Amino acid sequence: MTKKKPLFDPKSLKFLTAVSSVEYSKPTLKMGALIASVFDASHGVVYVGERASEFHGSSVNLTRTNLDNWNIIHPGLEVLEWALQELKKLSPENNELAKIQFNPDHVYEEDGRVRVMLPEEKGCRIELVLREGELVDQLRKEIQLENYDLAIIGGSQNKRHLAHSLIQYLPSSIFILQKFNPRKKYKLLLLVDDSIATNKSVEWGALIAEKLGWPVRTLTVSKTKRFGAGYQGAADKAKAYFDSRGIEVEQFFLTGDPVRTFVDFAGDNHFVIMGASTLNPVKQLLFGSKPIKTLEQSDVPILIVR
Amino acid sequence: MTIYIDVLFWMRQKRWFLFAIAYGLVMHFVVTPPTDLNPAAFDALIIISMALILIVTEPLPLPAIAMFMLFMQVVLGIDTANNVASSFMNDAVFFIMGSLMLAVAIVSQGLDKRLALGIITLTGHKTWRIIAGFTTISAILASFIGEHTVAAMMMPVGLTLVRYAHKDPKKVAGLTAALLFSIAYGATIGSIGTPSGGGRNVIMMNYWAEFGDGSVTYLEWIKYVYPMVLIQIPFTVLILLWTFKPEHSNLDSAVRKLVIDVAHAGKIKGREWLAIFLFVLVFLGWVFLSEDFGLGIIALLGVFLYLAFGLVEWQELNRKTNWGVILLFGAAISIGIQMNETGAAQWIAQVIITNLGRVIDSPAVLQGSVSVLLTGIMSNILSSSATVAVVGPIVLDLGGDKILIGYATAIASAFGYFTAVAAPACTIIYSSGLVKSKDFLRAGWKMGVLSLVSLLGLSLIWWPLL
Repeated sequence: MTKKKPLFDPKSLKFLTAVSSVEYSKPTLKMGALIASVFDASHGVVYVGERASEFHGSSVNLTRTNLDNWNIIHPGLEVLEWALQELKKLSPENNELAKIQFNPDHVYEEDGRVRVMLPEEKGCRIELVLREGELVDQLRKEIQLENYDLAIIGGSQNKRHLAHSLIQYLPSSIFILQKFNPRKKYKLLLLVDDSIATNKSVEWGALIAEKLGWPVRTLTVSKTKRFGAGYQGAADKAKAYFDSRGIEVEQFFLTGDPVRTFVDFAGDNHFVIMGASTLNPVKQLLFGSKPIKTLEQSDVPILIVR
Repeated sequence: MTIYIDVLFWMRQKRWFLFAIAYGLVMHFVVTPPTDLNPAAFDALIIISMALILIVTEPLPLPAIAMFMLFMQVVLGIDTANNVASSFMNDAVFFIMGSLMLAVAIVSQGLDKRLALGIITLTGHKTWRIIAGFTTISAILASFIGEHTVAAMMMPVGLTLVRYAHKDPKKVAGLTAALLFSIAYGATIGSIGTPSGGGRNVIMMNYWAEFGDGSVTYLEWIKYVYPMVLIQIPFTVLILLWTFKPEHSNLDSAVRKLVIDVAHAGKIKGREWLAIFLFVLVFLGWVFLSEDFGLGIIALLGVFLYLAFGLVEWQELNRKTNWGVILLFGAAISIGIQMNETGAAQWIAQVIITNLGRVIDSPAVLQGSVSVLLTGIMSNILSSSATVAVVGPIVLDLGGDKILIGYATAIASAFGYFTAVAAPACTIIYSSGLVKSKDFLRAGWKMGVLSLVSLLGLSLIWWPLL
């Protein structure tokens, strides 16, 4: 069986992991590093902290400058330092990464963010960035600035209420690690329909399954008992793609409300991959979309491919 | 598709701005002003309520809100461009500008290490004594040099002690909170003590003068208000120890490490003596010359001296001074003056008196409780200085002794214990990431009760004696 040419060049991909604290972000960072290594993508880590009220912003900045003189660094830089150490532990074979030392004095402000200057690394492709402000706004700015392809966001801080905004406004694919347990054995559940984004999600799913050895299921849901040519064709195409890469796949065809069916089927032991909605943004804002509703209602990590 | 998303996202980010504009349009074009309120006063109220929405929700940078308040006064025909311009700049704005720059100048001298050594020498190693020392020194210093300056200088000392007490400050959360809150609450309770303790005090003095309500000297303010600072200090210490229960009763090892740290700075240098001397000169100027020259002019003179003696570079002052806040206070005071001149402030005061007068018989109780509660609540949502700028003209029209009502309002504007946004010192400790919003509530309600009782005692017992 001949291997098909992929739709993307993994080497050119850029992934961004959002971290918030040493306490809660370890699983997110671990998954971010894993996914970035699966795709051989360059990996940015961004800390988005609360921004002080503009009234007292200058007093806070004055204090931070003074704290620097006492070698007490910004709490966000502490998190980024920890993230770098974690990334080193996760990739012990990466000698270039091992050589990188975190220096809180080597930071510079640009484009409304603080970037940690890392030595001219070869092959490590790590970025560490500190931002302050509202999460969706800051992630959107970072993604637009650096052209990230995927944003990986932890679900530990009840991101569910932000689901709508994250999906609607982040211009990249997004991966939200809701109730993610690094010790759990997940199955890959690919939601297949006739939307354009399904092709890319099948490719991403295949690569993840191939590299991580996770079992794969595809699920196609129709509102009626009849599965149209579009749905059937998409499911067949997905199966053929997995077959072409030698990946075993279980196919499921169910009828019912799509979102409810996705959520029930996914339970708590699937890692869901689905394509982004192609609905008009205004309709998405008013009525939601399948990815938005699935993310709001489910308890599993979801990768929405755009 | 992308353009739709960009537009929707812009609308999401600016929703409060759009709401404020819609509110303003409806109020101006649809709603009929009450018959006893003239159109200019009604427009002044529209501008100030739109500005409040924008200040609380921050969809626009502060300077943009300031400009909005200024040009709307002219666009709606409340006053001429020249009159708006002249009401924009006054001694209170000079003071805010000067005190923000003085903060940069003082903090950059590195005097915090001396301060740390001084406090530790006084307090010893026992945790409760250190917390008492932090609270007392923060309160006393803040009453003269402003709470933001004190918090900026004390934070490194507090955080260094915490880190020497335990590698992970979260493992000594009680100690961390007690130390950081002793800085924030100490500075906040101290900031009411003298006019130079906070911009809001000077804004109130400016309103007294502007509205012809009389004038108060630096020493008179101290005589009326400082006892409250002194009363609150020991109770604040007790509240912090009771609320946060520090894990260690003795910080022996942490203190020793801190002393070694600060000892590296060596003996106090000539430059540092000069910085202290210049501030003492400014302080003496405030005490003895402010009646003739104004607090703001003296603060600017102090900044001039720091620049002239090369103690601070202009570039540093320029970079670290919040010019947006200065513009905003200028604009807020300008609209505050318009509220008084158009009769808007009197109208609101009358509405309050008419409605609450049915419930509260005593005019003095009504005036006091409205000014204190309105100011205290708004301070926790806005910032304390912005609250005085907005609420000041209204409470001064409630009747009674305008000077005493003004004191009570300025004092109550420091009751911003419940949130991290009200006082700069609270925002500063919150930015460390080591205290949480709920910590402000845990200790804040106790502080609120303490301050209300202290203010009541001050107004019922101390002020009648003067």
